[in-house]
This record gives sequence, structure tokens and C-alpha cells, in this order.
Amino acid sequence: MSVDVARPAVKPPLGMGAWGNALVTAVRCVLLLLGIAIIIQMLIVVEARPQDLITGIHGMADLIRRAMPPDFAALPAAFWPTLETLDIALFGTIVGIVLALPLALLAAANVTPSRYAYYGARAVIGLTRAVPDLVWALLFVTAVGLGPFPGGLALGVHSVGMLGRLFAETIEQMDMAPIQALELTGARRMQVFSHGIVPTILPTLLGISLYRLDENIRSSLVLGFVGAGGIGFQLLTDMNLFQYRDVSLLLIIIFVIVLGAERASAALRERLA
Amino acid sequence: MLRVRGVSLRYPNGKLALTDFDLTVDAGELVVVLGGNGSGKTTLLRCITRTVKPSSGEIWLGDTDLCPLEGERLRRARLPLAMISQYASLVRRRSVLANVATGALGRHSTLSSAFGRLPASELEAARGYLGDVNLADLAEQRAGTLSGGQAQRVAIARALAQRPRVLLADEPVASLDPEAAEEIMRLLQRLARSEQIAVLCVLHQVELAYSFADRVVGIRNGRIAFNLPRAQVSRDAVHQLYMHEAA
Repeated sequence: MSVDVARPAVKPPLGMGAWGNALVTAVRCVLLLLGIAIIIQMLIVVEARPQDLITGIHGMADLIRRAMPPDFAALPAAFWPTLETLDIALFGTIVGIVLALPLALLAAANVTPSRYAYYGARAVIGLTRAVPDLVWALLFVTAVGLGPFPGGLALGVHSVGMLGRLFAETIEQMDMAPIQALELTGARRMQVFSHGIVPTILPTLLGISLYRLDENIRSSLVLGFVGAGGIGFQLLTDMNLFQYRDVSLLLIIIFVIVLGAERASAALRERLA
Repeated sequence: MLRVRGVSLRYPNGKLALTDFDLTVDAGELVVVLGGNGSGKTTLLRCITRTVKPSSGEIWLGDTDLCPLEGERLRRARLPLAMISQYASLVRRRSVLANVATGALGRHSTLSSAFGRLPASELEAARGYLGDVNLADLAEQRAGTLSGGQAQRVAIARALAQRPRVLLADEPVASLDPEAAEEIMRLLQRLARSEQIAVLCVLHQVELAYSFADRVVGIRNGRIAFNLPRAQVSRDAVHQLYMHEAA
């Protein structure tokens, strides 16, 4: 036995007649043309000339040929800049954590002691985050001279902004019930922080900090280009002196450092999760 | 031990949440508060803990009126007042023992306690409180691994670590199965008797009130509807509390 089920007639939505369909098509065409226009202006502004890449490939090949084989005899000399690079990143991360943690407590809406402290801390976090680490490095090189110290300071200040924001967000998202329960026991503010807030958010904070260390290692490689020490500075010097075999060795070291830091950071964060 | 005298609370929008509320809970007594949703039960507890400040009235904890106090003086005066709620609200990543010992933090102002350390004497005492709630064998376990009933018992042990004279319980069995709920109520009753603690417990489970309360207080629209020994509370009077809500 078949059952006839009366199907309701499909009505076009209000205002979606033939004119409506034409309007939708027109809007789509305009959006498509707009997209194409954006891509064309982008290619013009960046002066994209793929043919130059093809004609210039010989120059690149020549550079690579001169960089081969890497000069492994220079490995001992590369040890110190490598250590400098890692220590700049570590210094920057530790400075960042130490300064970001109290700032984050002031900048987290659910635990901040006052509205003024909240806006003040948010302003500091915003400023240190908005200025790129390379610019901070230039400023600190001007202030304290060439070397790894301005690099460490630059990463530290920039990390304050990055970590401060992430720490504050972590604090804002935590479960407040255990914190309120501790407050009701009569615990003081500092005790609530150390016995309630820290144990609750510590694994997340450590994970964020490890990720920041990984980022800082990558950043510290570049900071050397503006005179802030480390392997980047050595790379720039060797490039200027046409020591391409040393350059290729440094690139291998950079590759190993970046990959190693990324893997180690990921493994540690996985253990903390 | 706990005396609430003429307490009223008016919200900024003008709504009166509690009106001229009077209540006394003596040492060793378990008083259960019944009432529909929005009747003012939890607001009463929030006033007693001074999480909110009553618009008028007095809240006496022993010889101290909490109402005029603020800041450090309020914190100190409130130390003998412990509270447990529907959810145990434990720090999940810490051990059961550490959670219990944090109940004693209010009595310590040492630098080490401010930096996350717990006094050895309090950790030892915490083992005793865990024994009181029959969880001594779970002392080293992470709090996040406990069942709802176990977690609530740990919250009670944390409250005991506070050495309270008054224990407030805001729907402490709301998220527990009937067996665990009875166990918690039996524990509260035993602690009230043996430790001479004044226990004020907000409940929705009428049968538990009939089984464990010394006295039952009914609240309707922020006012006391009745305040009677358990044996004198009629089913009809309790029914009226919730009928009002349905209406």
C-alpha cells in the first residue's frame, strides 16, 4: 500500500524572485572581479617577475656550487655563535616569563585587583607585542651596543607581550570555582595564587612557554642580522666575506637547531598535556 | 553560634531578595533550608559568608557581627565559617591531601605558605580529617580522579581543616546519586554532633531533610515560611513552598 504524502509547495524566499537571482549573480560577479583586481595589484606592487627567477637561476646555482661542500672544519668555530643563539633565546624566554606572569595576573579580568591595573597591564602587553622583536633589537643595540645582550633583551621584551596575552587568556578561562572555594577558607590573595591558580594553570603555562622558547630560537637566528649576536651575526659576516662553505655549514646548524627545538618543544608539551 | 538578625537584601534593580530574615543555628545542630528556585536560599548563604553585603541586618558568628566588617578584619572574623557547595571545587591537579590542607591556609601567614608550601603539621592534620570522612587511603591520589561523592567528602574534609564552628552547605548532594547523597548527609549529621559544629544546609531533597535535619526552615520569596523542628514540619507546609514556585 502506498501512502501519498502531500508535499508542501516550495516557495521562493521573500524577495527572491527573478530580480533577486539576478542581484545575487551580479554581486558574485563584482566579488570575483574585486578578487582578481586585488591579485593583479599585489603582483604589480611586489614586482613579481617569474622570468627573472628563470634567468637568475644560474647565479643561484653558482652560489650553491661555491657553498659545497660545507666546511666542517669550521665546526668548532661555529660552536660559540650556536651557543649564543640558544642562550639568547633562553634568556629572552626566561625574562619574558618572569615579567609576563605578574602582568598577566593584572591583565586577567577575573583576578585583577583593580580596573586601572587591568588597563595598565593590557597597555604594556599590547605595546611590547605590537613592536616586532627586530625593532626592539635595533633599539637595544643602540642602547647597549652590539652583541648577544641586546638580542636577549629584545626577545625578552617581545616575549612579555606574547606570553602576557596568552597567560592572561589562560587565567581568564580557568575554572574559578576552586579559587572561590579557597578564598572562602580565608586564604590570602598570594596563597590563593600559589595554591589555587598556579597548580590549575601551570601545565598550560609551561606548554605556552615551551612554544615561546621554540619561537625565540627561530627569532634569535635572525636577530644577528642587526648586530644582536649569535649565529645570525656569524652568517651575515660570512656572507659579506664570500665564505659560502662556512655559510652552508651554518645553515645546516640552523636547520638542526630549529628542527631539534621544534621536536623537543612538541614532545615536552605533549607530556604536560 | 550563628545568628541572622533582620537581614534584608535589595538588589540594585530594586528587587528584594531577602526580607527581614531571622535565623539561629546552635552548635551541634543541623538545620536544613528548603525552598523553591529563586526563593532566596543561596542568597541567604551568600549573605552569611558576606560574599554579598546585606542591605540591613546583623550576622553574628559567635560574638562577632560580620556585617560592618571589611577587608582583613572580615577575613579574620570569617575564619570559623566554612562552606561547601554543590560541586566540590577542588584543585584537580593537586593531591587529595594537599586539597584538604589548603583549608588551613587562613591560619598561616608565613612566606612559605604564600609560595605554595603547606606546613607539615597541617598535612598531618589533613590526614586525620581524611580519616574522618573515610578517605585516608586516597590521600596521595590526584583530586581530579575522584568520583563525585568522594570529591564532596574531600571538600568536607577541607572544610574541617578550617576548624569551623559553622558549616554552610549549599545543595551539597545535588549532583550525587541517592546512596552517595545519604552518605554525605549522614556525615554532616555526625560532624555536627561530634565536633559541635553548627551546620546550615540548603537542600532540594525533602526526604533527606526529613531524615537528617534537626530543624527545617522553609523559605518563600525571601521570607521565612516556617522554622520548626523536623517532627513538626508537615508535608503540606513543604508542599506549599514548591506550589508557590509552580504558580
